[in-house]
Amino acid sequence: MHWMMLFIAGFCLALNLNVASAHVALACSSCHRQGGNASDPAARSGRANGCVVCHTGHERIFDHAMGQRSGEKQFVQRSYGRFDSAFWDKNCNSCHLRGCLDCHGGAGLAKPTIAVCQRCHNGYFTGWDYSGRAPREDNMRYQRGIEVNGSTFLKMLPDVHYTVGMTCGACHSMKSLANGKKSSKKCRDCHKPSQNIPEHRIPAHLQRLECYACHSAWAPQEYGTFFLRFRNNRLKDDFDLKPGSSAEYLRSAYLKKQDAPPLGINAAGRISPIRPMFIAYYTDIMTARNNGPENILLTAEWRAYFPHTVQRGSVTCDGCHDNPTRFLFEPESRRIYNLEKDGMGLESFWLQTGQRVSNGSFMDAARYLRMSSKSPAYTKAYVEKWKTFLNRVKD
Amino acid sequence: MLIRTVNHGKIHIALLLLLCLPIVLSGCQTRTKQSSCVRCHKGIEHVSKTHGDCVSCHGGKPLEEGKEKAHQGVFGISNPEFIGRWENGCAPCHRYQFERMQSNLMYTAAGIIRNAQLTWEGEDGNSYTTHGEKQFDADGKPFSPKPVAELDNLSGELYRKFCARCHVGAQTTGVYSASHSSGCAACHFPWNNEGVYTGNDKTMKGKAGYSAAHTMNSLPDTQVCTRCHNRSGRIAFSYQGLNDGNNSFVPTRRGEGGPVMASGARNLTHITADVHFAAGMECIDCHTSRDVMGDGFAYRNMYLQTEVACEDCHGGAREVPRYREITRENDEALRESKNYKMLVTSGMKMIQTSKGRSYSNVFYRDNTVWVAGKKSGKLHRSKVITGTPEHNVVGHERLECYSCHSRAVPQCYGCHTTYDKSQDGHDFIKGADTPGAFSETEDYRLLSPFPLALNQRGRISPVTPGCQTFINVIEPDGKQSKTEYVAKYKGKQQLRFAPFYSHNTSKKAVGCAECHGNPAFLGFGQHVVEGNSIKGTLICERSDSKPLDGFLTMKKGRVNAYSAITRENARPLSGAEVKRTLSVNLCLPCHDKARDPIYRKGINLRALDDALHRRLLSGS
Repeated sequence: MHWMMLFIAGFCLALNLNVASAHVALACSSCHRQGGNASDPAARSGRANGCVVCHTGHERIFDHAMGQRSGEKQFVQRSYGRFDSAFWDKNCNSCHLRGCLDCHGGAGLAKPTIAVCQRCHNGYFTGWDYSGRAPREDNMRYQRGIEVNGSTFLKMLPDVHYTVGMTCGACHSMKSLANGKKSSKKCRDCHKPSQNIPEHRIPAHLQRLECYACHSAWAPQEYGTFFLRFRNNRLKDDFDLKPGSSAEYLRSAYLKKQDAPPLGINAAGRISPIRPMFIAYYTDIMTARNNGPENILLTAEWRAYFPHTVQRGSVTCDGCHDNPTRFLFEPESRRIYNLEKDGMGLESFWLQTGQRVSNGSFMDAARYLRMSSKSPAYTKAYVEKWKTFLNRVKD
Repeated sequence: MLIRTVNHGKIHIALLLLLCLPIVLSGCQTRTKQSSCVRCHKGIEHVSKTHGDCVSCHGGKPLEEGKEKAHQGVFGISNPEFIGRWENGCAPCHRYQFERMQSNLMYTAAGIIRNAQLTWEGEDGNSYTTHGEKQFDADGKPFSPKPVAELDNLSGELYRKFCARCHVGAQTTGVYSASHSSGCAACHFPWNNEGVYTGNDKTMKGKAGYSAAHTMNSLPDTQVCTRCHNRSGRIAFSYQGLNDGNNSFVPTRRGEGGPVMASGARNLTHITADVHFAAGMECIDCHTSRDVMGDGFAYRNMYLQTEVACEDCHGGAREVPRYREITRENDEALRESKNYKMLVTSGMKMIQTSKGRSYSNVFYRDNTVWVAGKKSGKLHRSKVITGTPEHNVVGHERLECYSCHSRAVPQCYGCHTTYDKSQDGHDFIKGADTPGAFSETEDYRLLSPFPLALNQRGRISPVTPGCQTFINVIEPDGKQSKTEYVAKYKGKQQLRFAPFYSHNTSKKAVGCAECHGNPAFLGFGQHVVEGNSIKGTLICERSDSKPLDGFLTMKKGRVNAYSAITRENARPLSGAEVKRTLSVNLCLPCHDKARDPIYRKGINLRALDDALHRRLLSGS
């Protein structure tokens, strides 16, 4: 065993791995303990027994969302899993958490950088947006520009916290993640809403809205997520789409947007950004070519969430109070996309009918009507807001 | 006597027949030497009632037997209007139309060639057209443009290798749903999606590069226009309620890309169609023959050639549609309508185009403007909006109708063009592969909201990227000599937007607050408002401070325009105009209808300080 330890230490030195200072002072056997998984003391399979000697309790991260991914698995089970029981393994398993080194490995045992988090938290998943990245369209015509980890992106306005140099860990501490919490800090732990801002003086705003309902500047939104299944790989040639991790599938979307997201009610009962996750469709190309079913609408689910695209500013008052589409009450007179004609099984993406929020609810019609009625208080605040703004605009 | 006379008559007739026998027989011999055309092309469709003889259109030697001999001297290759031959095929009878077509922008492509120049090297002091025929400018002065084959730079290459496919100066084959003939036949002998003859002539059946049938279509339908007008602004798609969106191939259709496929492996989804299309109107029901075939004068851009305007049929804010009665038998409208389902007749009051010429299918009767479908004969009542309060909002006299009445405006952001000199590309004008191939990638497409700016008429109009070209050049040795280069326009490096009518007209206008309360309509792109700044959220790769989907920024109250609007006198809104537009928001929460009287006398913002408003706003 002694030789084994020496070999590992020598191997690490040969690779010039820069073990962080706190660990340099430790004996090898402090981490690589007998009885555990000697070659990888940080492995999930061993509950990170080499790490948890000091980092007590941190192995519990494997029991929560990042380790279990139970919410996503359940989604797949009730959607694509109905047609392909191996769908998860084929399409969703690339972000499997294998151990502490997934985040703390690399050039040294260090706190993960933003880039490290974004190895998994990218694409349509929250995290990329923090650096100002939105997914591009799936057709290869749009796969251009800078690439990070093999993925291209639309350049967006980064989150204000990113701009000032804050890492993910500033709000998402290890302790909070190990305890199964999404974050260690809420907005108001650091920010006190200024009363100089007219919107902050409206009690309903502070009582009923998440801060990020207004301050999320944009959010990636995917309307109509398609997984196309190819049992014959040559058939893929007709679809000039970005290749994914699965040899059997290609992913595409009916429409992508990245403007201010629709709003709904989250699990806490507060108004929050929501986005499709997922309005999911399935086509088995082989079956479809033999007159079988295709474009099967599996779920029409939305999720309340926190886009990491925070700005000091927000949309104008009309962006919410005169915008029924944002609450999925799209008037027919403003409708552009004709989903029924395309056989999408929904009248509109921006109508609540046939859709649900998996971790909250849509705003009900009566409440929206109350919210959008121009009460004297609203009018007063509205005029004040615009007056304040216009007085500071130069001719 | 009578009998004798009759007998004598019989003898005379018999003699006469004997004398005529050689002539009769020789006549029979002539018939045996009749045209061999229809013997080979048996079953071929008759072109039209007025086009009787094969030779008069096609030329050739019909009395000869066999394809090689009979086809000697045939005008054109697949059609008698093939460029360089159409002066023999169609022009002898249709001189008026032929001469107009030679100046027609759809044939000369002078506008798009110039636009390509402006994007790349800039103008060089010469005018170029597809083939370089002599022209008369809008003032009637003759000039001789150069053929685009002589434009020996990237602009010329771009036109010849990219744009030329969709212009009637050249035939396009082998492109699904976008193949078409050249010359007159491009519109009057429709091709099907495959560009394959499917008529009854067995010698031609299944052959590619021919019209669907040998049948003349004097009135082209919307599908004919769609063969070309499906790129760039994509107006034919938008008109029909089709969206060339993100090339995602979904929803699929029978396991293929779908739901509707178009040329270039593009898929189309459905959007709300233009209100005119929904009513059953074809492109030619609004567009006059002078719009689509030219009027004999050479214009620099299509907006100068086009004579149709919304106000012609719907009236302006203060002026009702104008009409002129047909009093002469040679009136153009009488001649033009002869193939219409509904003929116009002398004494009818024909509505005038913006250039003061008569429509041939729009007339005034019983205090109503009527539009007759040229093909269908269906009568459409045109609502006249003159004098309505909604259309007399002070300030809105500067708006094009379609600024408010457009529903979707296709916008393609970021056109990244690569010119690779190490590869060969096909030159559609020269008809040969030459060094240099073009390819494009793109950033993002959007339908709504859409930005507004001043157009060449000084009117506020929707604008769309036109173009946001980022140029990449790869030299023959593989080295990249230009990377994401932005060309100079009006003296500085800047991207461009172009005034644009998307042809996706909606009866319901964009709402007052929807437009005034959303700075994206003013050209700020998607954004957040922060203090007295407006920050774009979709950013140009080349500059952190510039939104990709707009052309204005506001930083600490100061408005800055960083992209140009093409066309003379066109420009983004100024800071003062932006401020004035946004100031309307001070009134809109209470005065939320366009017909509110306050909007017909100009907004007095000081009213907010009067006793009534102070009381209302204080909530007391």
